[in-house]
Amino acid sequence: MRWLAERFIIGLSLISTALLFLCVVVVTTSVFWRGLDAYNLQLIFGTVNPLDALLGRKPVFNGLLPALAGTALLVCCALAVATPVGLATGIYLAEYAPSRWRVVLSALFDILAGLPSIVIGLSGFAVTIYLHRLFPGRIGPCLLISALSLGFLVLPYIIRSTQLALESVEPAARLTAPALGATRWQTIRHVLLPASTSRILGGIILAIGRAAEDTAVIMLTGVVASAGLPRSLLEQFEALPFFIYYISSQYSTSDELEMGFAASFLLLLLCGFLFLLAFVFEKFLTRNFSTR
Amino acid sequence: MRPVIVLVTALLLSSFSGLACLASDLDGFTGQKGTLKIAGGTAHIPVMKDAAQAVMEMNPEIKITIAGGGSGVGIKQVGEGIIDIGNAGREATTAELETFGLTMIRWAIDGVAVAVNPKNPVHALTSEQLRDIFAGRVTTWKDVGGEDRQINLYTRDEASGTREVFWTKAIKKEVIDTKANVVVSNGAMKTAIANDPYAIGYVSVGHIDETVAPVTLDGITPSLETVKNGDYKVARGLFSLTKGDPQGLAKLFLEYLLSPSGQDIVVEKGFISVQ
Amino acid sequence: MRKADSRQESILLAATIGSGTLVIGVFFLMLHLGWPLLVSGQFFSLLFQEWRPAEGIYGIYPMLVGSIAISLLALVISLPISLGAAFSATLLAPFWARSFLLLLVRYMAGIPTVVYGFVAVFFLVPFMREHVTGGSGFTILAAAIVLAILISPTMIIFFVNGLNSVSRSHRLAVDALGGRPTQKLLYLLIPQAWPSLAAGTIMGLGRAMGDTLISLMVAGNSIAVPETVTDSARTLTAHIALVIAADFSGMEFMSIFSCGIVLYIFTVLSVGVIRLSTGNKIE
Repeated sequence: MRWLAERFIIGLSLISTALLFLCVVVVTTSVFWRGLDAYNLQLIFGTVNPLDALLGRKPVFNGLLPALAGTALLVCCALAVATPVGLATGIYLAEYAPSRWRVVLSALFDILAGLPSIVIGLSGFAVTIYLHRLFPGRIGPCLLISALSLGFLVLPYIIRSTQLALESVEPAARLTAPALGATRWQTIRHVLLPASTSRILGGIILAIGRAAEDTAVIMLTGVVASAGLPRSLLEQFEALPFFIYYISSQYSTSDELEMGFAASFLLLLLCGFLFLLAFVFEKFLTRNFSTR
Repeated sequence: MRPVIVLVTALLLSSFSGLACLASDLDGFTGQKGTLKIAGGTAHIPVMKDAAQAVMEMNPEIKITIAGGGSGVGIKQVGEGIIDIGNAGREATTAELETFGLTMIRWAIDGVAVAVNPKNPVHALTSEQLRDIFAGRVTTWKDVGGEDRQINLYTRDEASGTREVFWTKAIKKEVIDTKANVVVSNGAMKTAIANDPYAIGYVSVGHIDETVAPVTLDGITPSLETVKNGDYKVARGLFSLTKGDPQGLAKLFLEYLLSPSGQDIVVEKGFISVQ
Repeated sequence: MRKADSRQESILLAATIGSGTLVIGVFFLMLHLGWPLLVSGQFFSLLFQEWRPAEGIYGIYPMLVGSIAISLLALVISLPISLGAAFSATLLAPFWARSFLLLLVRYMAGIPTVVYGFVAVFFLVPFMREHVTGGSGFTILAAAIVLAILISPTMIIFFVNGLNSVSRSHRLAVDALGGRPTQKLLYLLIPQAWPSLAAGTIMGLGRAMGDTLISLMVAGNSIAVPETVTDSARTLTAHIALVIAADFSGMEFMSIFSCGIVLYIFTVLSVGVIRLSTGNKIE
């Protein structure tokens, strides 16, 4: 009976590992394969000369440039908001917060991490409506609102990685600076933060990946099917994940479908790479700093 | 003598080129800049995209954003002032026009066709059969002369003008089976039907191409001709709405849609010109 | 020096209070916008009514059932696979393969949801239609399979952390007694890491419940109360995405905030359970 259970466990593990491997291979290769004919400059720039397109002299249609630029700007803005706030909150939770508050607050950020992104999108949308009523004609769904909502969405990743990184700094390093007369902030600034850079960076990279792939939030807060290169933060925009969603439901030619596959592959590469990079930062680089 | 001919030719040429310049329907956009936000009806999108492309290529200072959402969204959002032009595939109700103070123009005529996959042998239905199918009373293709496979119903969300027109004119407000799959735009409906051999749905006549087959309803095949001459009854206009009278870029854009080159796009995309 | 120090502290405190307030703020925003429904006592009846806007009934019961059915089914499919992969990654696989497996899992975690949905629409759905479920292929089952793949990395990472945190001395003891890896797993690791296994499972359920794109793209979005796994269904999340389109002032719009409230409460409950079962924070 026990022997059977052991056999069962081994079988289960082998099969599931193989299944997972198969899934990854199937998803990656199928997306790559079906978009094969679309990997060229035209995928990005459409029929426009790349230089004209990059300088914004001619608008790009039938190309991914507006969506790529939209996603890039979106991620930058989201991270520009989330990084300082996340770092500050993470440091406070790890170093200053009284223990009872720490429990309450980390529970709160766990909730935030678990909130469905569409709920955050919905709140972003509701806030937009309020703002629109307050400043008629100025604020509607736009890149800024999307970026703020996305920043909020990825905030817990940065908070948690900062907090964990600081908490896992070895006690010896933590005690030396105060013993030499450093203040709490000096200790954090000159000892604790440098020692945990790579883990914090890992968290930030993870946040970039999440912000780049999320579709539900931007769907409600200002992404549109056709907008051209982003010119202002207060305008609607295009983004890569939304482009993929849009193509999946309403491609009209096989060329467009191929572009959808090619765009999926690009996004897959980008996010897969970012997640791997985050993992490397978090696991392998940190070893150099700790005694283990 | 010679110089006279040269002069006349030159005059003729310049007047021709002058005419060509005058005739360009995009002239109004010269020197303009800014952003025009368009959203709403999804049947309109192909025309809107091409018109926007023409405008933006002529004057890169202008930016036009186009989103879908459905007629309900178009009307509500333009009413709230979130967008500049709201599209609707149904006429806005008097209540909607009055609450928001909207102006409505019609720039194309379209129909709503029942569509199936081209592989499906069933290409004609009676109104009665159509109602039974959409109400969920008839559930296999065999019952209407096709294969012995389940009928896969596709419908649109509540914001859709296409749904509204189909519901009132084609199935006489029959309650659509709740088990029907819901898609969010005319484009999505077309794609869904094109990919599912046992599907039935309804789509703007302008969106019909070789990937989906229109269903002859009570002996009348939905097409540009039958919609134009009034034989096919499930017809509708394509509308654009603005809050108050159209102004600025919105005014120019709507004028362009109604101009000869705008109407050329309308015809090219499979709709019927209003001229 | 002290003064400067307290200034840093107050900046940090302000950031913390600000972001914390926002989290609670989201809930009150939902509550505020859905308030007219709550006061009129309709909120609870909404939970048990169908969605028939034409008749003025805006219930979310079908979506509630849809969400629960899809996420539970996804969990049922994903749990054995994730457990198996976690066992491999901690113990059973050869040492070199473990790091590789963990890398693979991280890469999987990075695959964008919308890409999973895209692949499913063009490969899984037609396959299901022709060979498995019949009908349109847009079914609870199809969505659950994709979601199962989506949530497995989350669960595996959690399981692996749980299994690895079992104390080293206990593990060495099993080795010293000549225990095989499977025995170590069955009689030491699983019983010891049991709370984190439970927490990981709930985590996976939460991710499945909170995902929008896959159910929106693959589950068919019908508004009927699903009866079998081969039915088309709509989830709470997809419902928000579909109805956001509608009128800002109408009942329809208010009712999607009730979906938001339900999802928020579900998140709070699952975080509560996870924290109780692991005794401290989620890593």
